[in-house]
Amino acid sequence: MTRPAPLAIVFAIAASIVGIGHAAQGPLGGGTVRGRVTVPDMTVVAPRPSVSGIMSASHMPVDRRRVVVFLESTAVLTAYPKTPGHARMDQRDEQFMPRLLAITTGSTVEFPNNDTTFHNVFSLSRTRTFDLGRYPPGRNGAIRFERPGIVPVFCDIHSHMSAYILVFDHPFFAVSDTSGRYAIRDIPAGTYALGVWSELGQARSRRITINADSAVEADFDVDGDPR
Amino acid sequence: MASGRPGFGLVVLASVLVLLSRPAAAQTDDAPPHPAERRVAIGGDVALLLAPPDDRTYFNYTTYDIDGLRMAQVQLYGEWHLHERLSLVGELRTQNAVTLEASALYARWRPFARSSLVIQAGRIPPVVGAFARRAYSRDNAVLGMPLAYQYLTLLRPDALPASTSDVLKMRGRGWQPAYPIGNLALAPGVPLVAGSRWDTGVEGSWTSRWLDLSAAVTQGAPAVPVIRESNRDLMWSGRAAGHLPGGITVGVSGARAGWLADSVLDLTTDGRQTPHAQTLVGVDTEFGVGRWLVRAEWLRSRFDLPIVDDADPFHRLTAHGGFIEGRYRFHPRMQVGVRVDRLAFGRLFDRLTGTSPTWDADVTRVEATFGVRLSRTLEVRAGWQENRRQSDRAARRGLPIAGLLYWF
Repeated sequence: MTRPAPLAIVFAIAASIVGIGHAAQGPLGGGTVRGRVTVPDMTVVAPRPSVSGIMSASHMPVDRRRVVVFLESTAVLTAYPKTPGHARMDQRDEQFMPRLLAITTGSTVEFPNNDTTFHNVFSLSRTRTFDLGRYPPGRNGAIRFERPGIVPVFCDIHSHMSAYILVFDHPFFAVSDTSGRYAIRDIPAGTYALGVWSELGQARSRRITINADSAVEADFDVDGDPR
Repeated sequence: MASGRPGFGLVVLASVLVLLSRPAAAQTDDAPPHPAERRVAIGGDVALLLAPPDDRTYFNYTTYDIDGLRMAQVQLYGEWHLHERLSLVGELRTQNAVTLEASALYARWRPFARSSLVIQAGRIPPVVGAFARRAYSRDNAVLGMPLAYQYLTLLRPDALPASTSDVLKMRGRGWQPAYPIGNLALAPGVPLVAGSRWDTGVEGSWTSRWLDLSAAVTQGAPAVPVIRESNRDLMWSGRAAGHLPGGITVGVSGARAGWLADSVLDLTTDGRQTPHAQTLVGVDTEFGVGRWLVRAEWLRSRFDLPIVDDADPFHRLTAHGGFIEGRYRFHPRMQVGVRVDRLAFGRLFDRLTGTSPTWDADVTRVEATFGVRLSRTLEVRAGWQENRRQSDRAARRGLPIAGLLYWF
């Protein structure tokens, strides 16, 4: 097996972080897994209603079409050096954007308030419990994520706002586009379990074998059993 | 001969069809979901509040004749998106399984896609003050309601005192005042602003980063919101709030409406011409930055009250309600909240004794709670509420309080 150059690893990891929402990349010359994840129909829902308050924004529907496809952790994968990156979860129109973010451990996520109203960002997740407090439009808050896991994120002021951050201890993951297409590139050769995370339900993980400079197709169906 | 102009009904029908029609534009996979894909959204709040019985001092009784600190309240609410900019909003509420009502039911319309202007018509949220629009339990710094929004004064919209003595005899017993004119049955008095009951009418609001403006025309009065009007007056109310740098919001609001029912006005000398307005002005402020949330509000209400047997039958009874509350979240899961609250009344000259006592007994309340968020949607709180009333009757009550708050 040919091992990639260290510089290529660093570049690939950095690219995976910068390219959040498209596709993750590992060492150059590795294999690729790509495919499409089909999610249940109820992907777009109206936000939690606000009866008593005056809404400061036109509530857009909540888009739950995106999923995260990832290689389940192994000693080989976690041994890859990770460069802590920066990601951004915006607050706009009383929504977190993007609603689904995937990062590597050690990365920092900024939560700029680009709305017209105050927001708060908090999570009671065991992976990372935090509360950025209330802050006005134009201000920013940031949290560093050290442990792998799932971090649901909320706003204490606007109960209809929610988002998810998935933290991985390796760079081999991808957030799908809204039609479910994904690609994880430059995976070191080997056999892995390929998993899918969706807020809409679950999909059975699959075993895949990756060869250098080749591509594997793997499609998934997410059932309607919510997590 | 048939006119060539379409009838009004046809124009309305055509307008509705245009409004409800979905755009036919194609949508690509990566395009954001079209707003018309929204469907019905539902949510709910459950509050289980526990405190010792307070059937001697009645400090926390509400217009529903329920102790606001011994209550199981379930609120179910929903929004049915008929169109991108038109929805129906409703709330079903029950307290102690005694009452079940549609506490809100209105149409919400956004006339312009790129404007925050919202028109709401039906049984709508109040415009005056700030607390009533955030009355859901999870947004309350403590567990009880502010005095101005809950404490029952001795005034009733359906019954009138014949003399100042009739008024003063009821000082400190607003939970069940009785008067000789009008409805003779025992019934609760009214707060300055009904915090848990909404009015019926039309409201327009516009929000921006720096300014919120709201105005409404409704049927009732701040103290007496109604579904079916009991007099022929309309309430005009409005609020303007500015969002200042540093996380400070300052709002001013006002309202004016007839608060006495025609049925009791008809029993006075001047009938429905008798002055019977409630005039309310308020100032509210909020400072919320970081772990701190501090709110304060002051309301001044003036009730025109005819006292028919008095030498000067026209009286204006004033009351001031104000509170300051704070919440400090010292951990993502834990918080403390405190409210200091005061309700003070103007004076009323009693010819019988030659004195001028306040027309109702002043009340002071201090409440502090400690809360733990067990999950994002489940919180428990416990604390203490201390009440003082400047009256010989049932003057003081301290209450341990606890609450379980859940929403979905």
